Amino acid sequence: MAIFGLWVINKAGGLVYQRNFADGLAQLTSNEYLVLAGTLHGIHAITSRLSPIPGQSSGAQVIEGETFKINVLLTLTGTKFILLTSPAEPASTIDVLLQKIYSIYAEKVMQNPFHTPEMPIRSEAFDVSLGALIG
Amino acid sequence: MFEIFAFTHVHNGSLPKSSMTIYSLYIYDRHCACVYYHDWHRTRRPKPAVEGGILPAVSQAVLAPVAESNPSTLAPYSSPRNTLTSASGVVVAVNEFNAQSTASPLLQAPPSPVGVSSTGLAFDEEVKLVYGVVFSLRNMVKKLSGRDEQFVSYRTSAYKLHLFETLSGYKFIMLSDPGTESLRFVLRQIYVGPFLEYVVRNPLINMDSKEYGVDNEYFRASVDRMIRGSSFFP
Repeated sequence: MAIFGLWVINKAGGLVYQRNFADGLAQLTSNEYLVLAGTLHGIHAITSRLSPIPGQSSGAQVIEGETFKINVLLTLTGTKFILLTSPAEPASTIDVLLQKIYSIYAEKVMQNPFHTPEMPIRSEAFDVSLGALIG
Repeated sequence: MFEIFAFTHVHNGSLPKSSMTIYSLYIYDRHCACVYYHDWHRTRRPKPAVEGGILPAVSQAVLAPVAESNPSTLAPYSSPRNTLTSASGVVVAVNEFNAQSTASPLLQAPPSPVGVSSTGLAFDEEVKLVYGVVFSLRNMVKKLSGRDEQFVSYRTSAYKLHLFETLSGYKFIMLSDPGTESLRFVLRQIYVGPFLEYVVRNPLINMDSKEYGVDNEYFRASVDRMIRGSSFFP
């Protein structure tokens, strides 16, 4: 049961934060992470269009591979929090974790007067709090 | 004493399974084209494709309507979901290539009686989007894991999409309600059973062609039977 990584994507689809925690996934260059984040942003939008039933569908919330899964939290402001975990993690734990990450983001990043919204996050306080939460 | 009694109480039978809904099935070949489409509980019909948008013999229900009336070409198998026939009074025979080539009356075809589709897209566009999503997600999963890893499924608040890919490049995609467990084994059963029997071993089906799908009455009926008969279909 491990958390492999966290990405934060702004509402335009650009990657603003990326961090790896446990090992288990490939090491990629920062450029590759940027491309993957943009792709995920697009896929998330398309998946909400493909619903076979009438009514609103959210975008993809969980994407499963064989050795890991991708969990997506889309906030009301359009920011996405992507958590890469092992497949065994229960959904309830992940939801709680994503909400906590969101509240840390709101405290340490949004309330920082020197941070420009939608720009890459360079905040030591954010890193430290995330480290304390996830380890 | 009471505790011992409580421990010996055996819970009979398994927990009641919540019924899962299967919405639809798509099969794509290695040329990235949709060769088969089947749906069950889809509440809104897919809009018929524009002419030439999809291959003939994918699914009667979503072929573009043809104004030309020719009762002698009535297909022996007529899908009960083929609501397009009621609009124009025409049955388009499966594998009847000629019927589709009468182009001009098509564009003035009366609007389909089935109303708005759930995706708001014509079928051929929807099919391409589904494939595109699956293709991109597969690449992403492979890239992230660094190994030759399979993308299995994804879930949204309204549906769940399951993928099973064969070694020959055929992709079986199924949409179900979000509470369903992984349906990969079901897709594998469809491949091992009806697909091998009625498509691969069928000499009349041109499998790797870029012009025809693989819809035939035996395959359709046996897939239908298999899904409806399985334990999770309500």
